[in-house]
Amino acid sequence: MFSVIWAVLGMTAGVYVAAELVWPTLDFGQQWLSFGRLRTLHTNGVIFGFGVSALMGTAFYSVQRTCHVPLFAPKLAWFCCFAWQICVLLGGISLLAGWNGGKEYAELEWPFDIAITLVWVCFAIVFFGTIARRRIKPIYVSNWFYGALIIVIAMLHIVNSLAIPVTISKSYSIFSGAQDAIVQWWYGHNAVGFLLTGGFLGMMYYFLPKHADRPIWSYRLSIIAFWAFVYSYIWAGPHHLHYNAIPEWVQSLAVVMSLILLAPSWATMINGIMTVSGAWQKLRTDPALKFIVLSLAFYGLATFEGPMMAIKSVNVVSHFTDWTIGHVHSGALGWNALITFGTFYFLIPRLMGTGLYSIRLANIHFWMALAGTMLYILAMWGAGVSQGLLWLSLDEIGELSFSFKDIMASMPPYYLLRFVAGLVFLAGALLMTFNLYMTIKGRRTVQVQPPEVRSHQV
Amino acid sequence: MKTEISSWLVFRLLLRPAGVFEELSNTRPDPHIVFFRYLIWLAVLPPLFAYIGAANFGWRIGAAEPLYLPGGDLVIISIVYFFVLLFGFVTTALVAQWMAATYGARHSLGIHFALVIIVAAPLVAGSIIHLFPHIFINVIALIPILIWSMYLLYRGLPIVLKISPERGMLMASALIGYLLVAAVSILGISVAMWGRGIGPSIGV
Repeated sequence: MFSVIWAVLGMTAGVYVAAELVWPTLDFGQQWLSFGRLRTLHTNGVIFGFGVSALMGTAFYSVQRTCHVPLFAPKLAWFCCFAWQICVLLGGISLLAGWNGGKEYAELEWPFDIAITLVWVCFAIVFFGTIARRRIKPIYVSNWFYGALIIVIAMLHIVNSLAIPVTISKSYSIFSGAQDAIVQWWYGHNAVGFLLTGGFLGMMYYFLPKHADRPIWSYRLSIIAFWAFVYSYIWAGPHHLHYNAIPEWVQSLAVVMSLILLAPSWATMINGIMTVSGAWQKLRTDPALKFIVLSLAFYGLATFEGPMMAIKSVNVVSHFTDWTIGHVHSGALGWNALITFGTFYFLIPRLMGTGLYSIRLANIHFWMALAGTMLYILAMWGAGVSQGLLWLSLDEIGELSFSFKDIMASMPPYYLLRFVAGLVFLAGALLMTFNLYMTIKGRRTVQVQPPEVRSHQV
Repeated sequence: MKTEISSWLVFRLLLRPAGVFEELSNTRPDPHIVFFRYLIWLAVLPPLFAYIGAANFGWRIGAAEPLYLPGGDLVIISIVYFFVLLFGFVTTALVAQWMAATYGARHSLGIHFALVIIVAAPLVAGSIIHLFPHIFINVIALIPILIWSMYLLYRGLPIVLKISPERGMLMASALIGYLLVAAVSILGISVAMWGRGIGPSIGV
């Protein structure tokens, strides 16, 4: 439930910063409303508030059902839930106050880094403790993905956040120069990889077969894709640093690994699409399945676009443009948000032991989410390609034709379009919030015992 | 089942799509006829509009003065544009035919070419906006047309391929996934061409 609140708050911050790019005076001279502070609130709010809360909740839900045991240390699980919310809330306030470690997607200062590490260790204890007590020998594929999420994010977070504290609100990274950049993007890209991709794949591998009421199309393919994914993703980070002062071979390796990554990504997509293709009768009654189907289409787009943009001859134009922002949102809105919405529509009525308040509203939300995502991507493609061309345009004597200011002055039409796209998407999320609130209102939480194990086959 | 489809298909599709869906669902068009009579001509139009627009007015990409490209480059880009579109049309039809087995849809290649026409026709008609080569104007004009195309795909696919609306929804979404990838590939190919010196002069 906290995840829904963070979705709305994080997305509102996003829409507000989008508006600031069109009307820069919207910060009213207030420092805490400035773009630099609100933008970090937006990214941290949606990734750690919305994303991680949803992942934690679904991980705890699905691990019990795939292991056929109740949670190990349920009190610790409640601690994880509330401590995490406090981290995100206070962290958000600290960002607005201007505390900033200066590392993208790891802006929170050292006190929060330590708190996050503690909560994460508790998350790991509950999750792996439950797995250790499982009554079914094979570990289901969704748990592999959730497990990878927990281990790799812990590793990334700890290494990237190593810093010397100076005051309570300021610390300096122990890495410097190019090394700092490589560590930062090793963290940044794999946070996308193991949290926004791997974690959400765990969600997909549990909830999609559940929705569709049939097993995964090819279980073997899912396991192969998992290991290929884990192995190749970790190398891809330096593609954020093409043409920079890092070794050439590191850049080339990142390109090759990014291209290889397409194979496991698409194997997973095909697995999902084939699983759902046999369950079409369910679409009549289950609005949630639509979200998951569409999220797979955007997953296919984002995982193709990413490797393509990692190729150096494409990256030379696309880097430092809004194309990158468009790419991130085709993944974040099209894949992460849609699959999470689908999961909410599935999970919350089930947890409440009742039907969804309004299927019609959910259907309207579906079309709004699709329209918002498409508008966003198209606006950013237009803006990004224009920027890429203009940054690099040379005049007759070989000097840059346009200044940064001239180029940015031509962008507001695209930014206005992006603002509208964000509004449409946010309005859809608000509809969902209302729908889920009405579903929950007045219902008692049902007590469900994990099902008995009937055989040792999954 | 009829193999002929009426000559005014594209125009009627733009004005009264529902009737066309019904008609197509009862025909089994010959792929050669659909390809040579319609698809190939649809693929000619956008590059032609783009060539005329760019040669006469220059692309406006937000900067002060429009960007004029050398005549030779424009011809190469237009020809590549034509072949990319044609490649896109044919592969979309083949992909749709390949997907048909999974969703229990009709298998004849001709009907899948016709499906591509349904989606492509509004976009091709809308490409007349290329005559006014201003990137933002093109984006703004093509967005509603794109929405209309997607609507026609979701609406028309189950009728033309004779499957239930639910399975049609799944297959249309899968096709959209393919089309999004195709669209972003065109962007990637364009950018890679610029880096190789075909197109606007950029400092790469």
